[in-house]
Amino acid sequence: MTVTDCKRLLRARSEYVLRLAAMDDVGRRYPGCVTKSALPRDGAFWRYVFVPLYRRVPWSFKRKGMRVLRMTARNWPENARRFGEPWRPPPNGTRASGGGSLERSRESSERPREEPSAER
Amino acid sequence: MSERLIVIGGGGAGTAAATIAKRVNPDLHVTVFTEFQDIAYSPCGIPYAHGREIPEFNDLFLSTVQRYIDDGLDMRMETCVTDIDLARGTVTARNEHHGFDKLVLCTGFMWEQPDVPGANLEGLHYVKDIRRAMEFDKELDSIKRAVVIGGMWLGVEMSGGLARRGLHVDFIDDGPWLLSELVDPDVAEPAQEALEKLGVNVRTGTRLLGFEGANGRIRAVSTSAGELECDVAVICLHKLPNTALASAIGLELGTTGGVVVDDHMRTSAPGVWAAGDVIEVPHGLSMLPISGLTGSHAYSQGRVAGANAAGENRSYDPVWIPWGFMSGDYTIGGFSIGETLAEAMGIPYVLAQGVGVSRARYFPGAARTHVKLLAEPGSLRLIGAQLHGGEGIKERCDFLAFVAKRGATLDDLAWMENIYSPPIGALFEPMQIAAQNGLAELAQKREQVPV
Repeated sequence: MTVTDCKRLLRARSEYVLRLAAMDDVGRRYPGCVTKSALPRDGAFWRYVFVPLYRRVPWSFKRKGMRVLRMTARNWPENARRFGEPWRPPPNGTRASGGGSLERSRESSERPREEPSAER
Repeated sequence: MSERLIVIGGGGAGTAAATIAKRVNPDLHVTVFTEFQDIAYSPCGIPYAHGREIPEFNDLFLSTVQRYIDDGLDMRMETCVTDIDLARGTVTARNEHHGFDKLVLCTGFMWEQPDVPGANLEGLHYVKDIRRAMEFDKELDSIKRAVVIGGMWLGVEMSGGLARRGLHVDFIDDGPWLLSELVDPDVAEPAQEALEKLGVNVRTGTRLLGFEGANGRIRAVSTSAGELECDVAVICLHKLPNTALASAIGLELGTTGGVVVDDHMRTSAPGVWAAGDVIEVPHGLSMLPISGLTGSHAYSQGRVAGANAAGENRSYDPVWIPWGFMSGDYTIGGFSIGETLAEAMGIPYVLAQGVGVSRARYFPGAARTHVKLLAEPGSLRLIGAQLHGGEGIKERCDFLAFVAKRGATLDDLAWMENIYSPPIGALFEPMQIAAQNGLAELAQKREQVPV
């Protein structure tokens, strides 16, 4: 098993148990809207050790931890432009989501044939 | 000799990559390989064609293969790529080798298959290929009962479509409320009611145990709530990245199982880009990679990959994922995260909630619009939202995702300008109401804190 496989399993398992615990908590806030979950709840370590421990750690530390473990994406810009900050050209080229390129003006009259296909 | 680009996959990402690449660099020889016989159709419309809201399946076809050929693309339809040799720069399809200088992988997704007895019976249907959907549609005229399995949005759309078609539909979902992986219970409740209004028998908290057959064909679905008779079962579980080729050539895969790309859609191999459901991209809030997004994401990623493969220098942003769909006649939507996901991830948040109307309240057709905003404590920066109601949900979700990406706060929304025109907009914008309510509640809490 590779390191990537281990990370994938760790992520899948932790997400699952955290989601179950969150469903319990959020469900209690909306008691009229929920039924008893049929999702499997095996794994005492995950439920009784991992979830409470994870919840005690502040989000900022968790985020740093995920970065250290290289669970977050690399080679991606992280800082969004703040609201009200004027537009400026990106440092490394044309962004996908605008920028007033020539291509955008071409597309306004484009026929709709590039509709997403085999994707949802 | 001109440079050769091969695009594998004819879905949204693949067609976008190929057409943009050709447009950016007309000298490029662009070849598209797809295992399917069609291109440029909308699979997202399939549930609505089953429900006859879209009268004809043919309405889902938006273009022909010939039009792509006319634009200079070399289209290899019904041609499955079975091997890639990066060192030699060739792909193998139908036992022939085709050379390339650059490669864009858009191999899309596969549906998760249920790991229960009877999953190989006839009569289990997966929604993907339009030709298969057209055959399935013909079967619908002669059957009476369907069970839809899986609490994802496609399950909701398919349940609605089949119920509109007059079938008896059981929809089973093992979560404690409808769409529990995606939405909060307060948003799921009206969505479930809308499905039930169409006649769908929604069974949350119900686990799939197996499929029962007779003569090799499904006759019932076995569940934790008993056996449900049916003529067909529609499986709508998770989308999984189709990484067979990517994995075979040693591309780096990430924690979702998708191909790792950078913000230019470059993979770990030089000269190879990837886009669409086969890749993972970071969520703008957490920077955790995610996969299996929407057709519009696939299309945008394909454009970036294609343009860069053709020599441009484009980048793609981390995603804030505006989403929305119809549950029966009701619309639900949102962006980024809701309460449940925030709780699961341990992300702190404050809530701002409100209800407004989509038009002036006296104008016929005005619908209530429920808005729930999540903001970062302290900065009050928007980090997520869930909405439900009638018209205008989609546009609000798009708007909220966009302004959140740009760092908007509850204060920004509380004092936003809005259109007041009785047929199209009320005096008070529902998002504004929610933000103002949230700020008022926070102010009240601050006052209550003993000094």
